[in-house]
Amino acid sequence: MTRRAEAGLIAAAALVAAVGVGIVEFTRGNWLNAQVVVTFAVFAITFGAVQVAVRLWAPGGSSLLLPTAAFLTAIGFIEIYRIDGDLAAVQRWSLLIAGGAAVGVLWVLRTSGVAVLRRYRYVLLAVGVGFLLLPLLPDAWPIHGATVNGSRLWVRIDLPGLDRALSFQPGEIAKVLITIFLASYLAERAEAMSTVHRKIGPFKLPEPRHLFPVFIAAGAAFAVLTYQRDLGASLLLFGLFVAMLYIATGRSFYVISGGFIAIGAGLVAYGAFDHVQRRIEAWLDPFGHFSDAGYQTVQALFAMGSGALTGSGIGLGRPDLIPAATTDFIFAAVAEEMGLAGSFAVLAGFALLVAAGFGIAIRSRDRFRKYLASGLTVVIGLQAFIILAGVLRIMPITGITLPFMSYGGSSLVANMVILALLLKVSDEERV
Amino acid sequence: MNVALRRAAYVLFAAFIVLVGSSTWIQAINGPEYRDDPRNPRVVAWRTGRERGPIVTADQQVIAFSSPAEDDAKLFQREYPFGDLYAHAVGYTSVLFGSRGIERTHAEELTSDRDSTISGVLNGLLGGDTRPRGLRLTLDHTLQTVATEALGEQKGAVIALDPETGAVLALVSFPAFDPNSLIGADAGQTGIDLENDPDEPLRNRATDETYSPGSVFKILTATSGLDNGLVSPSSTFPDPVELELPGSESTISNFDGEVCNDGVAVTLEQAFIRSCNTTFAQLGMDVGGNRLVETAEDFGFNEIIPFDLPVLASAIPSGSELEANLPATAQTAIGQRDVQSTPLQMALAGAAVANGGVIMKPYLVYDVFTSDGVVESSTAPEEWRRAMSPASASVLAELMEQVVVSGTGRRAAVPGIRIAGKTGTAQVTGQAPHAWFVGFGPVAPSPGEPSIVVAVVVESGGGFGESATGGSVAAPIAQQVLAAFFG
Repeated sequence: MTRRAEAGLIAAAALVAAVGVGIVEFTRGNWLNAQVVVTFAVFAITFGAVQVAVRLWAPGGSSLLLPTAAFLTAIGFIEIYRIDGDLAAVQRWSLLIAGGAAVGVLWVLRTSGVAVLRRYRYVLLAVGVGFLLLPLLPDAWPIHGATVNGSRLWVRIDLPGLDRALSFQPGEIAKVLITIFLASYLAERAEAMSTVHRKIGPFKLPEPRHLFPVFIAAGAAFAVLTYQRDLGASLLLFGLFVAMLYIATGRSFYVISGGFIAIGAGLVAYGAFDHVQRRIEAWLDPFGHFSDAGYQTVQALFAMGSGALTGSGIGLGRPDLIPAATTDFIFAAVAEEMGLAGSFAVLAGFALLVAAGFGIAIRSRDRFRKYLASGLTVVIGLQAFIILAGVLRIMPITGITLPFMSYGGSSLVANMVILALLLKVSDEERV
Repeated sequence: MNVALRRAAYVLFAAFIVLVGSSTWIQAINGPEYRDDPRNPRVVAWRTGRERGPIVTADQQVIAFSSPAEDDAKLFQREYPFGDLYAHAVGYTSVLFGSRGIERTHAEELTSDRDSTISGVLNGLLGGDTRPRGLRLTLDHTLQTVATEALGEQKGAVIALDPETGAVLALVSFPAFDPNSLIGADAGQTGIDLENDPDEPLRNRATDETYSPGSVFKILTATSGLDNGLVSPSSTFPDPVELELPGSESTISNFDGEVCNDGVAVTLEQAFIRSCNTTFAQLGMDVGGNRLVETAEDFGFNEIIPFDLPVLASAIPSGSELEANLPATAQTAIGQRDVQSTPLQMALAGAAVANGGVIMKPYLVYDVFTSDGVVESSTAPEEWRRAMSPASASVLAELMEQVVVSGTGRRAAVPGIRIAGKTGTAQVTGQAPHAWFVGFGPVAPSPGEPSIVVAVVVESGGGFGESATGGSVAAPIAQQVLAAFFG
């Protein structure tokens, strides 16, 4: 696909967002207004700027990623706009900032390439873990954690002279930093970790000290789970560790032991935490917990069932009735108003992103770049799966954003940075 | 290395295919079930619908009406200004839960479906009135209010009617519900909660539930004896502490475990006033199963009483079954064992006594009026059946008057009015007894003088528990309704 085609598709995605906003306005009895124009401009500028940066600093980068991400962002944005116009206005600013972040990443890595990140891996790890722990800062401090919906995963910065605190989810950024660290760590140790130290039955065990990362993985996930009540992020982190260990070593031992640890941790969490127990019960029988724990799931089922094949039409459904419809449950809002057709489009979009990401990883010859590309791809794919599987009742709900689609600046910035890194990796491997 | 990478990719793709399958299931295959779930607030139609006619009481209180919806002038919202007061009589109409009560049984008049027929279309074209008609019910707002308050928070029912016409004057069932709550924003959950409530607040206990009638049934046993010429009020019976039932180990004793009169002999009149089980069990066996059942069926047992609301048939075993089982006959004669009656059926038994033996067909709709308020049709009182001879009726009226004057029903007395009645305390295994009272007044009214019959049942002793009796719990409730009627 040429850069010209890519630009055309980005323009098409911007048009989708603008037309969606126009339809929402039309269902409210308004004709074309500034919202439509502004939306088109923001999408065109954001993704256009990233594309220009790619042409300048990563000319060989994959052309599949940007249009797909732009399309997913547009679909999500339409529903955010339809549910809450104020949030949509904030989301447009977030999108511009996220685009800026992606451009910045491409600029920083323009000559050194992603390899430079290896040099700073322990710095990145420290910053990443620090970000993970940031929400634990006491409420009285000017930079402090905040608990939203029972989960402590927000950080607020009280700036003097601002009546609204700046807030962000450091966990979203941390996942990118931790992925970079893991890729670089494994690029160095993978061989040692895949050599057989001892055999127990069918399992080939590596030297114990190489198992260390597995325990770090479990420990970090547990810490997040316990202190921040953030099931989605801990599951994502854990899944990321296990997937990368497996990709790097080819040893199914990591997957199997990871699976056992996950099951064990799940059982412990089920016994120890009320909120885990409630979620699992609400997952098994949401209608039986209609008025409390199952309410959100049931409302999402009502929304998606009402959407049927072709949806109620943009602006004609009631996705506002679903709690957290702009964030965790944005997919249910899309499914209601755009129907099964819209659901499939979203799933296809993520599948395409994941396919493109794994394609980059498979084509990579350098270990670090291979692991980096696969780790970043797993982050997007796994995160999308975790929340979609929750909304679609494949597994219990674990609150986490849907990449590119959910409302939220931190999430957009993190995912655009991931995109920029993938673009850079694909550019370097094309030479 | 790429092998593991490919496998990881396949796993993720497989996971996405599962998502495709799940969204297909939720949106396409199982979608209609979610879409149509009554709790799905997207079913906006529950709030509104077509215009329905108003429903008013006999004394012109509006108890149901349609007002235009705020957002769409073609749609209407149904309102029930008195909430749960008329819940079981009027019922409700709701897109989610269908309709009940008069709203259901008289939907034809209350909706303007006339315009869907050829004559309706022609009528509409010619400028005729196509708006729905209204209903005026026979219910009296004062009596309905008094009866509801008298029953209070006790499970049971009160039904009052005019014995000379069959017009139902009050119809109360508790627990009740607010029909407005089935139309409001939380209608879905409210409706499901009401349907699943073990206390069955949606059930109209006055017509759609049967209870052991207990001693109230002695009206029917006495009728059978009188009509068949076997006894008169002065007939004497032996007066044992316990009546041994032939062919069985069981015995029947009186409520207080004492003799009825002096331990030697008791007249039918004395036994009726004191509600003696020993005497009426004996009378039942004397009459025999066939004749007892025949009498009960003359009153309407074993068939569905024609009425404007759903009615459960009151039940008595077949005559041949009772003939073969004397103890069962004895227990049936005092309203125990397998005999089951609706409060409506017992009200009609009282009405038969009050109306010279004739039961008028009960009805709830006084007349139907057009949107201009012009009466289109009104219900003509209709004789339903003869339950007993006029002579037996007047004998029973005297016996029942004595019950209120000096017997178990003294607490139903209204000063200055000749009130007659019969109490019942139906023993139910595993729970406190049901308290019954059936009464009417005035006895022997002068021509044109209004009269009323009231039946009250309080489930499981109401607020009185095991110590409840028909005379102590149900009679005072009936007294308040009677007093309000004559007041």
